[in-house]
Amino acid sequence: MPDVAASLPADFPTRHAVVDTPQGRQARTALYFVAPAVLLMLLILITPVIIASVLSFSSYSLGSPGFEWIGAENYERMFTRSTYQKMLTATLTYVLVVVPMSVILGLGAAMMINSLRRGRDIYKTIYFLPVMAALLATAIVWEFTLHPTIGLVNKTLADGCEVGWLYVLLSGSWLGGDPAASWFGHGCADGFPLWLGNRNYAIWTICFIGIWQAFGFNMVLYLAGLTSVPRELYHAAEMDGAKSAWERFRLVTWPMLGPTTVFVVTITTIRSFQVFDTVEALTQGGPSKSTYVMMYAIFEKAIRQNLIGMGAAITVVFLFFVMVLTLVQRHLVERRVHYS
Amino acid sequence: MIGRSSPFFEAAKHAVLVIGALIVILPFYVMLSYSLKSPQEIETNTGGFIGAQAPMVNEYCVKLGNTREDCTETPVVFNYTQAFKQAPLLRYLLNGVIVTVSIFLIQVVVALPCAYALAKLKFWGRDAVFTMVLFCLLIPVHAIALPLYIMLAKVGLTNTYAALVIPWTISVFGIFLMRQFFMTVPDDLIDAGRMDGMSEFAIVWRVMLPTAIPALLAFAIFSVVAHWNDYFWPRVVITGNRDLFTPPLGLREFRGGADGSDWGPMMATATIIVTPLIVAFLMAQRRFIEGITLSGMK
Amino acid sequence: MAQLLISDIQKSFGETPVLKGVSLDIADGEFVSLVGPSGCGKSTLLRIIAGLEVQDAGSIWIDGTNVNGMRASQRNLSMVFQSYALYPHLTVAENIAVPLRMRELNSWQRFPLVGPFVPGTRPVLKDINSAVLEAAATLDITHLLERKPGQLSGGQRQRVAVGRALVRHPKAFLLDEPLSNLDAKLRVHMRTEIAQLHRRLAATFVYVTHDQAEAMTMSDRIAVLMDGELLQVGTPDEIYNRPVDIRVAEFIGSPKINILPAGCDANGRVTLFGKATTLGAKGTDKVAHLGVRPEAFVITNGDGDLSGTVTHSENLGSELFIQLSVADVDHPVIVRAEASLAPKIRRGSPLSVAVDHGRALAFDAKGKAVAVDDRDIWQKAVNA
Repeated sequence: MPDVAASLPADFPTRHAVVDTPQGRQARTALYFVAPAVLLMLLILITPVIIASVLSFSSYSLGSPGFEWIGAENYERMFTRSTYQKMLTATLTYVLVVVPMSVILGLGAAMMINSLRRGRDIYKTIYFLPVMAALLATAIVWEFTLHPTIGLVNKTLADGCEVGWLYVLLSGSWLGGDPAASWFGHGCADGFPLWLGNRNYAIWTICFIGIWQAFGFNMVLYLAGLTSVPRELYHAAEMDGAKSAWERFRLVTWPMLGPTTVFVVTITTIRSFQVFDTVEALTQGGPSKSTYVMMYAIFEKAIRQNLIGMGAAITVVFLFFVMVLTLVQRHLVERRVHYS
Repeated sequence: MIGRSSPFFEAAKHAVLVIGALIVILPFYVMLSYSLKSPQEIETNTGGFIGAQAPMVNEYCVKLGNTREDCTETPVVFNYTQAFKQAPLLRYLLNGVIVTVSIFLIQVVVALPCAYALAKLKFWGRDAVFTMVLFCLLIPVHAIALPLYIMLAKVGLTNTYAALVIPWTISVFGIFLMRQFFMTVPDDLIDAGRMDGMSEFAIVWRVMLPTAIPALLAFAIFSVVAHWNDYFWPRVVITGNRDLFTPPLGLREFRGGADGSDWGPMMATATIIVTPLIVAFLMAQRRFIEGITLSGMK
Repeated sequence: MAQLLISDIQKSFGETPVLKGVSLDIADGEFVSLVGPSGCGKSTLLRIIAGLEVQDAGSIWIDGTNVNGMRASQRNLSMVFQSYALYPHLTVAENIAVPLRMRELNSWQRFPLVGPFVPGTRPVLKDINSAVLEAAATLDITHLLERKPGQLSGGQRQRVAVGRALVRHPKAFLLDEPLSNLDAKLRVHMRTEIAQLHRRLAATFVYVTHDQAEAMTMSDRIAVLMDGELLQVGTPDEIYNRPVDIRVAEFIGSPKINILPAGCDANGRVTLFGKATTLGAKGTDKVAHLGVRPEAFVITNGDGDLSGTVTHSENLGSELFIQLSVADVDHPVIVRAEASLAPKIRRGSPLSVAVDHGRALAFDAKGKAVAVDDRDIWQKAVNA
């Protein structure tokens, strides 16, 4: 066997010959590159999930030295006490109203704007403005606009009481009913509702603001989806006998927008679960806990009232909802990817 | 073109869209208009869009001991100066900029090398790291606000810039986005860099970064908008130190003690907070919309 | 099956006129190809027939009925699109069933999940099902019925598109360059299949293509469209051997016909490169060009109608195409020869060829065909 080592120059580096390959160096560098991200992921994302899960089984409070295990008591409370039932009701109401409405409005606006000959960009810009503006700011402005006495909405409605034909129109008396008994009639007589102060109206008002803020985003996503539908499919549909716009929608538009819809619904749902700004600024969870959504509950219970255990339990339930939703979305998208 | 494009249908569509646009724009109208009006005009809902701008008397100024003449000014001046006087709004705006920019820069520094390694380098544990990224995509930061708050409280970091910035430094979405983008960069480009003697580190910043500018821009827009407008996290983590308020917190503080004469200045504050992003949006609409939607279509 | 009458169709897109008054008569059961270079308006014409575009002027008659203003879905025609336009989210069977479902079932019956329970739906669904199976059997795609278009090859997708078109037994079939997305070998194979399908269905086919070989091999008649005008309509034989316009002669035939500068002497005798030929113009038109197809040349030893230098040769195995550079002619002259001659043809060597005067095509300065015949008298005079 030829003695390779002996024929090498004396200072040839032999010790690192194995590890110091380009691949080896790349691998080491790669580890340095991912280290900060991995560290942060563990510290900022994964550890808190574990902490929340652990704390949810305790009655911990910040500042107090003790730590008591109380088992599943927090969860029990969540599903039995009326406060938490209202929390779940408020959250689910909000999600189940805002998601469908903002998706439908987003789709409707996208389809209408897409079929216009002129003016598309103006409408696109206007409808997208709420997405760009800080929700807290616009929520406060909505609160002001919906103020029972000096707000623009109620003032305009009150002015409408004076205008004869408008009164007839809005009170429905032209349909043959007692105008004073209608909603509008009541409002004229007793004053229009406290949109945010009345237990029966508050949650719907919060939903309205949520829809107002969200549908522009969905519209933009649907617009992108609509432009990617191949035009020839509409021609094929026409040749196949699809006569009306509804039939074209069912045969071509809706199926081709499938992936977009999955995405839009998921994102809107997750964001709806996270609603906080409007509630904290406008209703503080009331009146009578009718707008007591989960994020606000966590804030009130854990941050303000220092009931960390309970707050952690709500956090865990919340995370569960969100994770399940995202996994469902991923599954649906992967399944559909196999047909393009 | 298939389908009716008759003038009637066009007009009907425009009618519906215009009504929608009016509802959408209503708060912006109110916000801007009332930031220009006097308290009397606000209470009585008069004065058209920009208000009559009749000189009014600034009650605060009178209380401070000045004469009524010295304290007379037009409503728009009153509202906007009060906005800056009653609370350190400039400071809050500055905080907003500091926080937003810091977050974005750190996000890039953390995400870019990681994305590059995941996309182009071979190393033991690559799949594990990517799986971790996919898992962490399931965890919205707002959802874990509580444990994060506790962790920060325990190390005494509440009420600091660090608290405002740290939880956002890891943008899993950013890593995912940049990785997808980097995977489309030809390997040859990177090998050429290596042949030229560049270290991997140099490759990330000299080769990958320039090619990724469009994706980075989209990510920047997404990040800046999200964090400038964020109210929840600062509300949780800034509990006492007013100096650290971000713009939304500043507005909320204003709102806390709303009485008659403060609606005007409050609307002015809201306008000031909302304007930077709106103006940027109006100037670069396409980029903004691309950025926000790119975040979606992953 | 139906007769189609296209009467003086005009169409412009903005300022640009695309169709300048096209009229065409298509008999019941005929296979007519619309050929022409890209952008000549043939696809537009097809879409006007289908009803997907509206013409600016002129009428379309289907089986004696004027269909102007009638929507495409009501004209009872079927179209096979260049991109196939299959619904990606439906299986092959469902794709083929769509035209039947649209026409036979109303909205309630088509409702997902609940539809089949509407009274009267079941028997219709059965009929639809058997029609789909029949169409699939005709095209040999029965084994693909449960797949989605994304899982099929180009040729298979094309057959599904044809299946969707024929399942309804429409009055006529419109095909818009259906083979252009397929690779060369598959295209040749599909040409036969489509021709056989036409014979089997005995249906009216209107076929648009820019590939003259497809038109030549499949059609009963060819309509040559250029710059929005119909230059000639005739059988493949007529188009090939008796083109009425020099543009038709140049478009049809591969390799392209050679256009040689020609002239006419006082007696009407055609001259080529100054030398007299045995051809004489029949009427008073003056011949300016002579079109000679590559196969209409005969290689001579020295004395021929023209001579030049070999610049290139293509040996296809079955035949040889030689390119000659000839004085006073801009483009290389292409001559077809037997493949066995390949070793004897060297680049740079001179070659002399004679024109088979019987197969030469004469055109005047404006490009119109000039009738010529081979005058024996002159031949004898030359020989004498």
